[in-house]
Parts: sequence; structure tokens; C-alpha cells
Amino acid sequence: MLKIENLSFRYKKKSNLILDNVSLELDKGQIGIVLGKNGSGKSTLFKNILGILKPEQGTITLDGENLFTMNRRLRATKIAYVPQDITFGSLTVYDSILIGRVSRFGIASTEKDKDVVDSIIEEMGLEANAFRNVNELSGGERQKVAIARALAQEPELLVFDEPTGNLDIGNEQLILKEAKRLAKEKGITIIVAIHDINTALTFGDKFFLLKKGQMVNQGGPEVITPEHISCIFDVNVKVENINGRQIVLLEDDNEN
Amino acid sequence: MVLSRTPLRTNYIRKTNAKVLFLCVSTAVLLICIFFSVFIGSSSMTFADTWHALFMNSSNAYNRIVWNIRIPRIIAAVIAGAGLSVAGLIMQSTLGNSMASPSTLGVSNAAVFGANLSIIAFAGGFLSTGNNVNNYTSSANPFATSVMAFIFATLSILLILGLCSFNSFTPNSVVLAGIAIGSIWTAATTILQFFATDVGLSAAVIWNFGDLGRATYKTDLIMAIVVVLGSIFFGLMSWRYNAMLSGENSAKTMGINVKALRFVSLLVASVITAVCVSFLGVIGFIGIICPHIMKRILGQDHRFLIPASIISGSLLLTLSDMLSRTLGSGSALPVGAITTMLGAPFFLYMIFTHREDSRC
Repeated sequence: MLKIENLSFRYKKKSNLILDNVSLELDKGQIGIVLGKNGSGKSTLFKNILGILKPEQGTITLDGENLFTMNRRLRATKIAYVPQDITFGSLTVYDSILIGRVSRFGIASTEKDKDVVDSIIEEMGLEANAFRNVNELSGGERQKVAIARALAQEPELLVFDEPTGNLDIGNEQLILKEAKRLAKEKGITIIVAIHDINTALTFGDKFFLLKKGQMVNQGGPEVITPEHISCIFDVNVKVENINGRQIVLLEDDNEN
Repeated sequence: MVLSRTPLRTNYIRKTNAKVLFLCVSTAVLLICIFFSVFIGSSSMTFADTWHALFMNSSNAYNRIVWNIRIPRIIAAVIAGAGLSVAGLIMQSTLGNSMASPSTLGVSNAAVFGANLSIIAFAGGFLSTGNNVNNYTSSANPFATSVMAFIFATLSILLILGLCSFNSFTPNSVVLAGIAIGSIWTAATTILQFFATDVGLSAAVIWNFGDLGRATYKTDLIMAIVVVLGSIFFGLMSWRYNAMLSGENSAKTMGINVKALRFVSLLVASVITAVCVSFLGVIGFIGIICPHIMKRILGQDHRFLIPASIISGSLLLTLSDMLSRTLGSGSALPVGAITTMLGAPFFLYMIFTHREDSRC
């Protein structure tokens, strides 16, 4: 379980708090969606979880282990990151995924590391592209490689920072279904930042509503109410139930 | 026991073997060049004379030309070429800047200043000491010049890394600080040369030409120790450099201590450069040309790119040296001029084509 307690962060000593006393809990194998406007602190929250930034106060634990006291390499075997803008060097897909094992093997990869990579490539259907230059692939395919590399770390927690931001709807669905499968089949806890509320409702188990660095609300789909969404995104919305699914629609000012 | 391999693993091994084969062929080409390089020189020795001299069966003069002049400079070309090339590669990889090189970081400029200071200020080349050749030659010590060049090159990189660690140790801040401090060394060198005598000035300018003719077995040994140890360190860090290709944040989440790796790698690369430049003078562009050509052929996998850059650096400097001895008609041209003549157009080609790193 991922547990964040009273996390506060600011970039400089006298600047405003970017995260203000944020607390959240996410159970093992759940997909948690962080919703908030640009600048609400989503990426900063993720960077704190990943150990890229150090908070001013608060704790983050994963299955009871404090992430801040964990050494860098050990943390990399527990938490993996899929960023929004994927950059790879001029490497093959296979080697790009094998890099995910570096925290485990250190200097030279072993047969076991390659076995893990082989099985991930097969599992994710990347065999045809395994020895192509990763930079020649489409955005969706590159994102799949990024997920595969994160999986090679054999993490307990996956952090996706707006993973579908640059993708078309087809690739977006592909990536999010893959995330859902990982959570269900492998029991990996996933925390994701997504802008589209309806996409979030389709894939998320738990929702964290962030506004100006503060956690406005958190919980299951029931927290996605017009009031909460209006509060964090500053737009008028209505929530309708269509064929048993909760859909968030923008309120038309001229409707009446 | 028969090992059963998946098609995926078989393909991986095949791809890896192809790169290993490339490295083996490159090494063979380098060895052939080294062999022929022994037979090329500005003296009138025939092939047979050189062959006999190799076994110390020729005249004393010819034996000395081969064993005291040609072989030390060939060894220097192999070692310095390897060192400058791998240092350039590591600077580019750790700073994420394909134009990073010893010159960009001001290491070469600092070495030039150190050498000029030694020649002009401490070896009697100042105006105040008079335009006296005897005065200059009696106090000039080639080793003192190299030591001064090394000290200033190392101090310069420590200054840059120190300044950058005060604030944010970002790749851009290192490159910009390198350019700024490099300019200060160049300006200081100009001022120093302004006050130099004709003799001091010409000695300083001649030192600035990269010249393999200064190499001795002693300097080769010192360079070899530094280059070999540095290259082993870089080789051990190959996967970490590969991880850094994904950006600083991604590398951190893969357990890499990016700042420490960047600091130590830049320091080691700069020490290699400082040692080579302090003994041989400025030999430009090796650190840019060779890594870039190898990236185009092999991609950016540092497991192969590091040895490939080492071999290609040695090869390019050996070939440039052969060219300098062939074109010199009686005396060898400064090899630094040859590498710069080859490197500058390549640099322009790179800027205007943007076709690097397309393979892997």
C-alpha cells in the first residue's frame, strides 16, 4: 500500500508551498488517478514519490517502508516511472527495456535479467520491434516500450505522469488497458495523472482531487461530483449515468 | 547439456556479435595502420632499412629513428587518440550535449595557458629577461611545461565543477561555465604572449601545436596509465550512461546517482585530456569526430560505443600522424593541424545535416 502523510513541498525556502499537507492512501493493485489543473502539483507530487525531489515535511511509505530512508537502488526496484515525454537514446527496443534492470544488475546484465526482458517483450507483443531503433517507433509504441522498461524494474508501484498526453485516442486506450491489466494480473499499484475525467473514470479505482497543492477530496468514483470537478477545474459540469457508466459532461451555458 | 534459446535471445546474441565483430575488425585495421606507420617518416629510410631497424639490425642512426622517434610517437598517437576520443564521448554523454568536448569545457585552453606560463614566465621568455635564446634554453624544462599545463587544466575543470555544484549542477550550466572560463584562459594567454620575447613567443606558439614528436616512452607510460584506468572506469559505467540517455529524472528513478556520476565522469575525462594535452599540446576535434562517427555506425549503446570510440580515436590520430609525416617533406607537420583540418569540416557537416545517432 502507498501511504503519503502530511507531505509539503516548496522549491525555494521562501516561495509558496507547491504541495500543502497532502495525504493519500492507495491499496496494492489499485489504480489511483490524480486529477487537477496544470500547476496543481501533480508532477511535483510524483517527483516526491519517485525521490527526485525531497519534501519539506511528511512521509511516504510503500508497504510500510519509508521511501526517504531507502537507498536509491533499492527504491528503483520498488518504484518505476513512465514519464509523459519519453526520450530514449539511439538504442534497440530490447536494450532500452534492459536498462530498466540496471538498478538490479549494476555493471553487467545477467542471463536472468535477459530472461525477464524476454518475457516482458513477449507479454507486451513487442517481438516484431525488439531490435528496431526505439526512436523509429510511433508515439504509442514508444510509450509501450517505456512501460516495458518500467516493468523490467519489477516494481511494486508504477508512476505514470500524464502517459497519454501526446497520444491519439487509440493509443491512449491501448496504454491504459495495459495499465489496467498490470494492476489486475500482477498486483502492481499504479498512480496516474490524467487530464480527461471520463478516461479517468473508466480506468481508475480511486481518485485524488488536487487543487493548488491541496488535496480537495479522495475516494472512489463517488467523489467525482459536479461540485468537486467544478471546484478543481473551474468549469461547470454535470455528471450523468449513461448505460450504467458515469459520464462527466461540460455544462452548456446556453442550454436553457 | 544443450541450451535452448528463444528466437528473441538468438537474435539478441546475433546483434551483439555483429557489434563485437565490428570492434574486432576495427582493432585489426588499427593494428595494420600501426604496423605501416612504423615505415613512414620524413627520413630517407627504405622499407628494408626500417624492417632491419625494427630488429636492431640496421645502423645506429636508423635503429634510433625507429625505436626512439617513430615508435614512441606511434604509441603516443594510439594512447592520446584513444584518450581524447573517449573523453569527448563521456563529456557528450554526461552533459547530454553532442558538441561537448575538452575545448568546449575550457580544458584545452587552460592547458595552453599553463604551458605558456611555464614557457614565457618561468623559462625566461618574458621581455624583462631579454631576447636571449641561451637564457631561454638553459631554464626551459619540457616536463615543467607539461606539469603546468596539467595543473591548470585540472584546476580549470575543478573550478567549473565547483562553481556548478554551488548552484544547480545542470549540463547546460557546466557547458556555459566551461565556455566562460575557457575564454578567460584564452584572454590570459593572449596577455601573457603580449609580454613575451620573440623567442618565448615562438616557443609558446610551437608548444600550442599538437605535436606527437614530443612523446617519449616515459610520457607514453604516464598517458597509458591514465587512459587505461579512465577507460576501465567508463566501461564499468556503460549501463549507467545508457540509462542517462533517457534524461536525468528517468535515470534517477532507475537508481542512478546522476550528479555524482556526472561529476566523477567529467573529472576523469578532464584528467585524461589534461594529461594528453600537457604532453602533446592541443590536438583538436578527435573527441568530437570519432564518437559521432561511431554513434552513427553503432548507435548509443555505451558498452560498444566506448571501445569503438577508443579504437577509432587511436586510428584517426595514427592516420593523421602518418599524413603529417608524409606531407611534411623532411619534417613532420603538427598533427593537431591535421586533425583540426579534418575535424572542422566534419563539425560543419554535422551542424548542417543533423543526421547523427540514427542507428543502433
